[in-house]
Amino acid sequence: MIRLQMERFFKSTVILSLLLCSICLCSAIASSYSSSASSSSITMHTNNWAVLVCTSRFWFNYRHMANTLSLYRTVKRLGIPDERIILMLADDMACNARNKYPAQVFNNENHRLNLYGDNVEVDYRGYEVTVENFLRVLTGRHETAVPRSKRLLSDEGSHILLYMTGHGGDEFLKFQDSEELQSHDLADAVKQMKEKRRFKELLIMVDTCQAATLFSQLHSPGVLAIGSSMKGENSYSHHLDSDVGVSVVDRFTFYTLAFFERLNIYDNASLSSLFSSYNPSTLMSTAYYRTDLYQRQLREVPVTNFFGSVMETIHTDSAYGALSGKEFTRYKIKMSSDQSTSLQEQGTFVSSNVQQQMNDSDTKGACPFTRMMARLHDKMEKIEDVDTLVNYGLVIMLPLVAVSTWLSQ
Amino acid sequence: MAEISEAPEASKDEHGSPVKNISDNFDPNTMRKSKPGLKRLILSLSVLFSFLLGLPLLLKSIEIYRAPLPFREINALSNAIESSPLVFPCHFRAVFVGFDQNEWNADKLRVSILGQMKKFMGDDLVCGTCGNNYTVSVAYFGNGLNLDDKLKDYDVDEHLESVLGSGEINGGKVYTVVVVKRDQEVKAVVGKRRHGWIVGRVSELDAVEKIAEIFVKVFMNGGKEEGLIPGEFMPVGADGKVVLSFNLLNADPNDWIYDWDFQKIDEILLAPIIKALEPVANISVESQVLYHTPKSSFSYWDDELKSYILSTKDLPFFVNSNEWHLDTSIAAGGRSKVLQVVVYLPSAKECPLLLQLPNGEISMTNGFISPMWGGVIVWNPPGCSRDTENIHPLGHKISHQDLEKIFEVFMGQLRQLFGLKSNNLYVGTSGTFVLLASERGFTEWELDVLSRQHTCFNLRSCTTTLGSLSRLVQSLPRMIIMDEIGKQVKFSLEAANLAQSNASLGIYDASAVSSRLARSLAEDAFFHPSILSVSYYSFEHCFAVYSPFFLPVSLHVILAAVREWRRFKQERKKYVAWQTKSGR
Repeated sequence: MIRLQMERFFKSTVILSLLLCSICLCSAIASSYSSSASSSSITMHTNNWAVLVCTSRFWFNYRHMANTLSLYRTVKRLGIPDERIILMLADDMACNARNKYPAQVFNNENHRLNLYGDNVEVDYRGYEVTVENFLRVLTGRHETAVPRSKRLLSDEGSHILLYMTGHGGDEFLKFQDSEELQSHDLADAVKQMKEKRRFKELLIMVDTCQAATLFSQLHSPGVLAIGSSMKGENSYSHHLDSDVGVSVVDRFTFYTLAFFERLNIYDNASLSSLFSSYNPSTLMSTAYYRTDLYQRQLREVPVTNFFGSVMETIHTDSAYGALSGKEFTRYKIKMSSDQSTSLQEQGTFVSSNVQQQMNDSDTKGACPFTRMMARLHDKMEKIEDVDTLVNYGLVIMLPLVAVSTWLSQ
Repeated sequence: MAEISEAPEASKDEHGSPVKNISDNFDPNTMRKSKPGLKRLILSLSVLFSFLLGLPLLLKSIEIYRAPLPFREINALSNAIESSPLVFPCHFRAVFVGFDQNEWNADKLRVSILGQMKKFMGDDLVCGTCGNNYTVSVAYFGNGLNLDDKLKDYDVDEHLESVLGSGEINGGKVYTVVVVKRDQEVKAVVGKRRHGWIVGRVSELDAVEKIAEIFVKVFMNGGKEEGLIPGEFMPVGADGKVVLSFNLLNADPNDWIYDWDFQKIDEILLAPIIKALEPVANISVESQVLYHTPKSSFSYWDDELKSYILSTKDLPFFVNSNEWHLDTSIAAGGRSKVLQVVVYLPSAKECPLLLQLPNGEISMTNGFISPMWGGVIVWNPPGCSRDTENIHPLGHKISHQDLEKIFEVFMGQLRQLFGLKSNNLYVGTSGTFVLLASERGFTEWELDVLSRQHTCFNLRSCTTTLGSLSRLVQSLPRMIIMDEIGKQVKFSLEAANLAQSNASLGIYDASAVSSRLARSLAEDAFFHPSILSVSYYSFEHCFAVYSPFFLPVSLHVILAAVREWRRFKQERKKYVAWQTKSGR
């Protein structure tokens, strides 16, 4: 009995030590970065961006695309320009063969509003909507060839709305039925955005099942998050369109849109009025919002701070009058030449220097292992009598064999 | 499995011993007569040992290539930048003409100027100014400096330039203020180079105060008011580039269509400005003419002014982002900044369109800016108010005079975006100073201020970016770091150091150029697309990848070795027990 217990104890210790080993092996992969010492200087809110993501493929997920397009229409109506909206749609319902209304998408069975009308600029479409591309958009790490319209070019004065819809679960959101965005991934991307000052404030709005779990890992300041449902709850669709044959909108998004339909760009309804407009009995889930990372009072923040764009403008007091009185056509520029040319020389000198250094791609930084191998190889080359070396080796092996056989007697 | 194979052997061992030894005081359960064998132990241990030998090989094979990053240098740089703000050396010179040297000697004047400057500067060290690192020299000039009072300001400027030259001390630029005592109204002017002059009935005491104010408020700080645009908003892209996108918007082409001769604007007016701003930003220009671009804010008809009025509180809604397709640039790279310059031609039913300020006045410029975005200028076509039917819709061109006016407003806006004022007047505590405008758009001392500020901003941004990168890299040990990133970081650091050394020598423009390079390289390294590969990599994932390879076999090997060791110890104890007993 005791022996059995001992055995069990040993086994468990062995497993434990193995676990520890593997922890060392993948050490600190799961660890988070040290918090950045970013100065909390007050910057001005200068512009608004929106990243709208629909992550689901296939015809029966029609409503997710309709959700996203409705939000797209809303933020555009409230003033965010197309070049500051990144729209990601994982499938093309408008051109789906099953769509009874080709090139049209509706979010209501009354079919009053075609969401896929003119001026819909989809930035990422179909199979381009992947976790990787999504994270690239957030963190800004694109290949150089990616055009400006596909980039989130926000700065330290930006307010960003991130809206995501699709199928989710506990701490994940499914992309394209094949990948997952984990809550860690999202938190990580947001953290890097904060580190690089890519936003001033960020509102994450998620309409999936168990949406609240997606926010659990977030801990960057300036982030406000709202999800359609708590952990263990589902988010349901609002109604089925019997003409189209599928559900056309989700409940959470439907009531969000209902709230915004009453607003125009001049309104200053607050975020708290939006958040309190969600009724759990009509949603059939509990809308959850996380405000502990957000500094401002929700009552004082107008929704147009995220869902619209109000430009900061400064009147130009005076023109710069140096050019008046000069004759336009025969106007010759007298540069104070010496200063500018010397500067140019310096500039080119610096850049050429670096260019040259960039070009000579030295491969000195090889790993120690290959270096050791190379040294060994060199030594081997120097030894002329290879046969004797091999013989010596064999001779050394003999006592080894002898010792092992003696021990095994 | 190990237990099953072990079981019969153990029983055989136990059964075997009592058969061989028949002795009274021999207890087969606790003793044995033969020495325990080492073979099994050695076998299992050697297998374990060979496994351990393979471990470094495994670690080597799954090692990830990481280019070495100079973390220590990055830390040193950021410490250096954070601990002491970058301070440029500045050299000031005051020249007194026609003054009596008996009462005040040069040294006394120098000390009092220094004292006044301290008063104007305040205590906080702002990055990009001269801090306390400035020198002042005072000289008396006889009557060689012949500033004729018939000369115009611009000619005085040229004259001073020819007399004083752009003197340099150790490569640094010298700012000069000339005070001329003469029987006339006091007039203080700051030229478009690095000179200022004060002419009139001034006492030394007044002159000292004015000189100090010019030195500090104008030459050092650029004559701007605090809080015009926060310093963080530098309208220069992360790669040091700016694209000026000029847009001519015909709100309703059914009423009239105007065109402009942009080629000429670009060649004649813009080129010197772009050249002047070269150290601060690499500027490129593009233009387009758009049609059907109504504004999205309201305006109302005012009978008194006989025009449509737009109030400033409606300005935020002026830009109609849904109809104005401004950002069509293909020249602008991913991280460069596009500054929009919009010339808006109102349609017939809202013409002329005027901008009303909160105090009821009509705007002189009819334009506004949005920080980091660009500016809008409303230009009313001539004669649109009289009778709109008579204007032929086609084939208009904005005349050169009008273009010039528009361009002047644009210059005002561009300067505003860069944080400079354009009203050619600086009202200080000791009087009003006239600031001469330069045909290059920016005077030399303004360019110095911009260079200093941008150097400071660029270096700060560079260090924070590199700091973020090093934190990111250190926190992700499983991330591949390409050689390119290492190189970019290295060159960014080099450029940053070059910028610092240039700054300490007082070579403002060169330090601005290299700081810009440092910033853009740092950004390139941080935003390198390969970094994304493993951002978040969970422990569970890692365990799941490696455990199928090693867990099943290694568990058995370790278990077997442990068991054999225990068995050997137990058997040895038995043997020792028998030996002591039989020895007794």
